[in-house]
This record gives sequence, C-alpha cells and structure tokens, in this order.
Amino acid sequence: MQVIVRRVIQLIVVLVVVTFFTSILTALLPGDPVTTIAPFSSEQDRANIRNQLNLNENIVVRYGKWLGHFMTGDMGREYAGTGVRGQSIWGRIKDSLPRSLLLMLYVQILTLLIAVPLGVYTAYKAGTRLDDLSNGIAFLLLSIPVYVTATLMLLFLSVQRHLLPTEGWVSLGSNPVEHFKHLAMPVLAITIGQVAVYARLLRSDMVATLQEDYILMAKSKGISDRRVLWRHALRPSSLTLLTVAGLNVGQLIGGALIVEVIFHLNGLGFAIGDAINRRQYIALQDYIAVVAIVYVLVNVAVDTLYRVLDPRIRGARIG
Amino acid sequence: MLESADTELTAGSVSAAAAVEEPPDEVFEKRGMGVLAWIGIGWLSLVVLIAILAPVLPLKAPMVGDYLHPKAGLFSPGHLLGSDDSGRDVLSRVVWGARASLLIAVGSIAFGTLIGGFLGLVAGFKGGLTDTVLGAFFNIFLAFPQLVLALTLVAVLAPVKPSGGASSGEWGHRILVVILAVGIVSVPLLGRITRASAISWSQREFVMAARAQGATSRRVMLREVLPNVVPAMASIALLGVAIVLVLEGALAVFGVSIQEPNPSWGNMIYSQLSNLNSAPAVWIVPSVLIFLSVLALNYLGDVVRARFDVRESAL
Amino acid sequence: MSRRKRGAAPGSERFADAPLDGSLLEVTDVKTQFKTPRGLVHAVDGVSFSLERGKTIGIVGESGCGKSVLSRSIMGLLPRNAVRHGSVTFEGREIGKSTGNSMRQYWGTQMAMVFQDPMTSLNPVMRIGNQIMESLRFHFDVTKDYAEETALALLNSVGIPEAERRLREYPHQLSGGMRQRVMIAIALACGPKLLFADEPTTALDVTVQAQILDLLQEQQRERFMAMVLVTHDLGVVAGRTDDIAVMYAGRVVERAPTRSLFEQTRHPYTEALLKSIPKLGQPSHSKLDAIAGRPPDLVKPPRGCKFAARCPYAQPKCITDEPELVDAETPGHAFRCFFPVGSQAGAEALARNLSAGETATGLPVRKEGEAVLTGVTV
Repeated sequence: MQVIVRRVIQLIVVLVVVTFFTSILTALLPGDPVTTIAPFSSEQDRANIRNQLNLNENIVVRYGKWLGHFMTGDMGREYAGTGVRGQSIWGRIKDSLPRSLLLMLYVQILTLLIAVPLGVYTAYKAGTRLDDLSNGIAFLLLSIPVYVTATLMLLFLSVQRHLLPTEGWVSLGSNPVEHFKHLAMPVLAITIGQVAVYARLLRSDMVATLQEDYILMAKSKGISDRRVLWRHALRPSSLTLLTVAGLNVGQLIGGALIVEVIFHLNGLGFAIGDAINRRQYIALQDYIAVVAIVYVLVNVAVDTLYRVLDPRIRGARIG
Repeated sequence: MLESADTELTAGSVSAAAAVEEPPDEVFEKRGMGVLAWIGIGWLSLVVLIAILAPVLPLKAPMVGDYLHPKAGLFSPGHLLGSDDSGRDVLSRVVWGARASLLIAVGSIAFGTLIGGFLGLVAGFKGGLTDTVLGAFFNIFLAFPQLVLALTLVAVLAPVKPSGGASSGEWGHRILVVILAVGIVSVPLLGRITRASAISWSQREFVMAARAQGATSRRVMLREVLPNVVPAMASIALLGVAIVLVLEGALAVFGVSIQEPNPSWGNMIYSQLSNLNSAPAVWIVPSVLIFLSVLALNYLGDVVRARFDVRESAL
Repeated sequence: MSRRKRGAAPGSERFADAPLDGSLLEVTDVKTQFKTPRGLVHAVDGVSFSLERGKTIGIVGESGCGKSVLSRSIMGLLPRNAVRHGSVTFEGREIGKSTGNSMRQYWGTQMAMVFQDPMTSLNPVMRIGNQIMESLRFHFDVTKDYAEETALALLNSVGIPEAERRLREYPHQLSGGMRQRVMIAIALACGPKLLFADEPTTALDVTVQAQILDLLQEQQRERFMAMVLVTHDLGVVAGRTDDIAVMYAGRVVERAPTRSLFEQTRHPYTEALLKSIPKLGQPSHSKLDAIAGRPPDLVKPPRGCKFAARCPYAQPKCITDEPELVDAETPGHAFRCFFPVGSQAGAEALARNLSAGETATGLPVRKEGEAVLTGVTV
C-alpha cells in the first residue's frame, strides 16, 4: 500500500514538473512573445494574448492559472488573426488525441504480432544461416528513418500504383474498410522499424534464456519444443519485451507524430506541426503538455504491468 | 515448422565449455575489427571530407536553379544526381546539405557528450546529494519523448518566419539553435549512461587503491574513472550521431530544420513530399545518404560496444 | 477410476512388450565430443556399463571428468555442437542414434533427470503445480483435476508440507531443499523406469543433503526404478548404490560392485578419491588429502594413462601406453591400470617412486605413497 502511495506521489511530482515546463515555453520565445505569436495584430488582440498567457504575472501564478484552465479543459482558442476567433484548443485535443492513440495501438499490436514469433523463431534457430539473415535484415531496417519508409511507400503504393489513399483519416465507425486502407501505410511505416527493434532484443534475450538450466529441465520432461519455447522460454523474456516497450514509447510517439504529418492524419502530431508552422504557441503549449502526460502515464502503466507480471518482484513486494 | 526432424532445441548450444565444466579462455579472444567496420569508417570519412571540402569542390551553386534542365534524372549530363523542380543540382545540394546535417549531428552530440558526460561522471563518481539532484534533473528531461522535446525547443528558440525563406544569416543561426536544442535533449541520455558506467568503475579496486593513496578526488575521477568510461560514451555517442542524423529529417518534416532554399538532407526529402514522382532523385539521394551513414554509425557503435564489452544494461 | 479422458494407461502401450527381466540400460562404448573453436573436446571417451531394473549405479569423478555429459549423452540431452557415438539400448531398443524428436517419447515417461542446481533448474515464472502437471498432461492426456491430484500426491510423497498451498507458489518462495524435492517430484511425475540424478545434492546445505539422498533411495525402491547417481563425492554413493563406475578424463577407470570398490580398491585414482572423503572419526581440523594437479585437457588428452601425471604409482610405461580395462578377482570388478593398488606390481612401482623421490612424470612423492599434498583443512 505504501508503495502505491509513494508511486502516486512520484507520478504527481513528475506531472507537475513536466507541465510547469510546458506552461512557461512561451517565455523562451526570443523578444516579446506576443509579437512573435501575433506580429500584425491590434492592441486589443495583443492585450488578449497577454492576458491568456498571464504574461503580467510571475511564473508560479502563471503556472497555477494555466493549470486551472488546462485541468478544466478551458484552454481558450487558437489565435486566428485580428478579430477572428480561432479553433478551440480543447476541441482539437479531444478530436486528435484518440486518433494518435489508436494509431499507436495499431502499431504496437502489429509489431508484437510480427516481432514475437520472429524473435522466438530466430532464437530457436540461433547460429543458423536463417538467423544470420534475419539479423542482418533487422539491422538494415533499423537504419531506415520512419519518414523515408513512409515516403517510399507513398511513392510506390499510392503515387505510382494508386493502391492506397495518400492522406486523411477515416473513422473506424463510419467506414471500417477505408479506415484501415487509410491507416495501412502510416502503421506499416512505423511498424517496420519497431519490429526490427523488438525482434532483435527478444532474440538475444531468448538465446540467453535458452541456455538456462530450467530449459534443459523442461526439455527433459519430454514436452514438445514448441511448448518449451512458448511456455518456458518466452514467459521470462516477455518481461524484457515489456521493458523494451517502455523504453520504446518515446520512439513510438515520435514515429506517430511524423507519419501524422506525412499522411495528414489530423492527430496530435499533425496538430503540433500545424501549431508550429502557424506559430500557435498558446495551443502548442497545451498539445506538448498532453503528449508529455501521455508519455509519463504510459511509462507508469508499463512499470506497473511489469510488477504485476513478474512473480519474483510481486512476491518480494507482498511477501 | 518448429518440429522439423533435423532441428533440435538445444539448451546451451554455445556452452560446450559449460558442459565440459572447463571454460576455454582463448575462445573469447578479441577478434579484429573486420572488413565491414573499415568500409563503414571509409564511408563516413568520405562523407565528412566532402562536406568539409564543399566550397572548393567543382560543384554547381546549390541554390541557383538551372531553368533549362529542371527535374533531370540520375546521371543526366551536367546533373550527375539529377536536378529538382527548379533545376537546382542535386549533387551540389546533397554535398552542401551534408554540411548542415553533419554539423547538426556532430555538434549536438558533442554538446551532449561534453555536458552530459561531465554531469554523469560527477554524479556517478560523487554519489550522494549531487547524484540525486543531477538524477532528478536528467529525469525531468527524460519525461518528454525526445522528438517532441527537440521539436518544441527549436520551434520556440527559432520561430519559423511566416514568410518562409531564409537569409544567409538565418542558416548559421538555425544550425546553432538546432544544435543547442538537440544537444539539450541528448544531455540526459548521455549523462545517464555515463553515470551508470562511472558508478560501476568507481567501485573497482584500483580506484579504491588510488583513493587510499591520497590522490585527490578530481585526479581519481579524471585519471582513473574517466578513461574507463570513455568506451561506453564513445559507443553511445556514435549511435547518438546516427540518431540525430535521422532526427534532423524529422525536424524537417515539421518544418523547423534548415529553411529553404538552404539544403539539408532532411529538408531535401521533405520538400518533395507533395510531389514525389516529379523528381524522385531529389529525395531518394539524401534518403540513401542518411541510410548508409546511419547504417555505418550503428555498425561501428556495435563494434565499439563489443570490443570494449560495454554492457547493454548500462543503456 | 476413469478420470482419464482416454483409456490409455500411464506408461503407454508402446513399451508394453518390453521384457521385464534382463538389463534395463546397456551402454556400449559411448563417446561424446563437443565441437569448439579450440577443437574437439573428448568429454566422454568410450564408456560401457549396464544397469538392471531397480538397481542403482553411481558415476563418480572430479568435475570435468565427463560424468554429467555421460548421463546427458545416454538421455540424448546434448547441445547442438555435440557429437555422440556408440550404442545405448533401453529395454533392448537402440536409442544411441536417436535425436531429440524421437527421444521425446522416452523423456519423462521412461527416463527422467534430477538436475544439480534446484535454484536454476525450476522455471522462475511458472507455478510449481504447473511445472509438475505439465509433463503429466502432455504425456497422458489426463484432465486438469486428475493431474492436480497426482501433483498433490507427488508433493506429499516427496515430503513437502502444505502441498496444497505449494502447488500455487513460485520456486523463489521455496528453500533450496524444498526446490530439490519439487524437482524430484517433477522427475517422478510420469513414473520413469530410469532416473538420472546429476549431482542432486551438490548445491544444497550439508544438513539437507542426506535427506534428499534418502528420499531418492526410498522413491527408487518403492517404484522399482533404476537410478544413475552422478556425484563427485564417493561418500555420497557409499551406502546407496549397487555398482560404482569411477570416471576420469572421459573414461571409466574402475568399475565394481560398491562393496568391492571400497574394500578392494584397485585404481590409484579411486584410492585418491577415497582419501579425500572427510571421515566422521577424524578430528575436525585434520588435513584432507586433495589430489594434486588438475584433470588433463580434453582437447588434447595425453597419450598413455590419463591419470599418470597425478599418479604416485606412475612408471615410464604409463606415459606411453594406455592400460585396458581388465577384470579383477571379484566378478563385475574391472579397472584400468598397469600397477594396481594392492598388487605386487603396484607395491613395487610405488616403492621405486618413493626411493626416487618422484614418479615417472616428475610428480614429487613422499612417505606412505602419497603425492605431495595440498592440504585442505576441514
């Protein structure tokens, strides 16, 4: 119980520090932030922005006020030029965050579906030519940036063959077929690199596991190799897989943001790119804060899952 | 498939030594670097050399269009690697682009290695409160996905001009900003690895012995611990340069890397996104360059790690 | 009781026609080599013995002499870089050429193994119950309830208290001795006819060692199971085996009924091993006789007798020629030595070495035929 309380407190501290950092981002802008955000605006607009950013307050008060607005979803609107009301920031987050999360979920599922059998099989075949080959390919794939994969796919599958749509998001509810057609390239583009990471790590971990005494013991029971691999060897390695997943969340988020921009998927990454290019720093603060919070929470979730899954840790905590 | 007759699940295929209960030490002798590593070094040297020599090489002006020969294909006369929509020479642009991309990659990792390495070394060597404070500092920065942090810092430190386009002064300024931003992002990563390595080396007998002989802390840290931490830092720094080469392209996707008309490998790729088919050489050539350089760096990083037995757990 | 899903009796029809008398296991000239970067390691080099149903053979030797590899060779549990020659028959069937897939029908149900280190030989992330039930369910196609009942009975029979609770626990929640009992339960689960116990007590506390050995012996008698007990400690096998084979550098150097081996020791290596057993009668700080030197390199084994370099009886002949396994007076007793202990030739050889102060291999010798000893105090 104490452990849980301590971890919750830790989590809150991290979240506060992270959001504090994002809330003062605009203070880092060179010169007068208002001029950078809205260079050609009326005095009235400038005062509004100054007010919205609480630039007249000290940093702590500014953070407090920002946090109040952020927590209640009352984040205001993007600045859209003199006298024009821009898009609601909260509205945009509400629309785009689930898309980004769904994209990442698809990538994670597909990655595991491919990487786990691949890692297990190559570990089983360790030292053979097939293993060398797949290792080499994985190493090559690791060195291809997501945006290059994405661009190559766009060229060959969309521009030249017209097999898949080049851009846009179709919701799952409205048209499942189009939904997956639109997401196929973005998901694959990220997955290819991720599979290489997961399969390589799982392989090397499994190779080590297969040297363990308990694997020989399991084998001496006369059970099938398949069972030895999946029941005895994969289970301890799955904890490693989880560690990798934790370390890789940042990569995953990064990949998702990039493909959102390339394929115009209108998720949070697209929103961030949009905000940067239109210098919507007020909105940018909030988008970044959301990404950071998601990142922290996913990491906590992975960590918690780890504790639940590993009987040794679990036992040590309870017993 | 798993049950094919000639394959057999083997626990300990590598561990014949364990089976005969007598480890043959010579087996683990370190081998030479191998041809692949030398090819990697050769490739990287070539790229660096070309980037340095760009002003004196017989190249076309990278930002001047040859309106008579736009969208030239690979190996066209006059445009060895083709030209873009406005006839700018791709070869010239990737060479000049290499200057930007390599400066950013090497500069930011140098920044991160110096600052992060120093902080990590101190934290790991001193321990105690220093370690706690620095550890907390690292963790704050690690609470952001790297791309997001780098992106945000660049966007805030050097806002994109609404009109687009850049002056020559903008080039240097933006490179500095990107180096600073990416460097800041790499500090906690490099710092954490150095710290882990410094902790393990600080507990070795020879360090204890040096301390017992009355050597000053600073001397022990710099003379005894630092040289042993360097391999770990070097292998991570090599990987870091690779990561930043890729990251520069990602920044370009968000439009905050080097600004047109100046070339970088990243912005050459991204500039063609809406028009992939019209002059594919423009983005395929820098893509290949990034791929090959990253491949070489990743491979060399692995080689260094294997040679100096840098443990994965330190990552 | 018809709890089994199908009618198959445990033990399987495949083996129903096996003869009930005669030897269970016949090992003839088994050789096992490992391919390593240094060359071929001759871990087991021409070992033969036979074992009858319900009997126990002890395989004794220092670490690195190939005894563990021998038991794994017989069972076919070798890594990929191992090459096995020779013949192994089990219930009259040749299994010496069988690979993993055809050996699987023997593993668990016909022969099973108890491994040395219970700390590392149980899967840390699987419940104990599941580890016991696994082979039952795999081989016999029984229901989960039936398997669980059997597992419970097994845990009880190997002397684990609160068996019901233990079924749901993980290995790290048990002490070393308990874990070894669980290992034994796993090995016994499918009623094997032959049990390999590979240094079953080496990793355990001294106080627990005797209990585990007693348990093995008791289970073996109850189930009329043959056992191969591998150990480096002659003291362990003393009262618990029918026969003993002493191994050195991959070869059997002496093989005899247990009593005969202790009373009429013939091989100098066996004699040296006997001297290294701590005896209860001795004062607690008396010196133990350790054997000087180390076993030879199995990549390039020496030409003559493999033990010559460490043997106080060694003569020039021992360096050039390798002795054959010859029969002693007692039936079933054989040894591999030109100058056996307790013989005229042996006594003369020793006397010659003593007066020279060293053996033919240059090993210094003093007083009652012992090599210069590295004293080990206990």
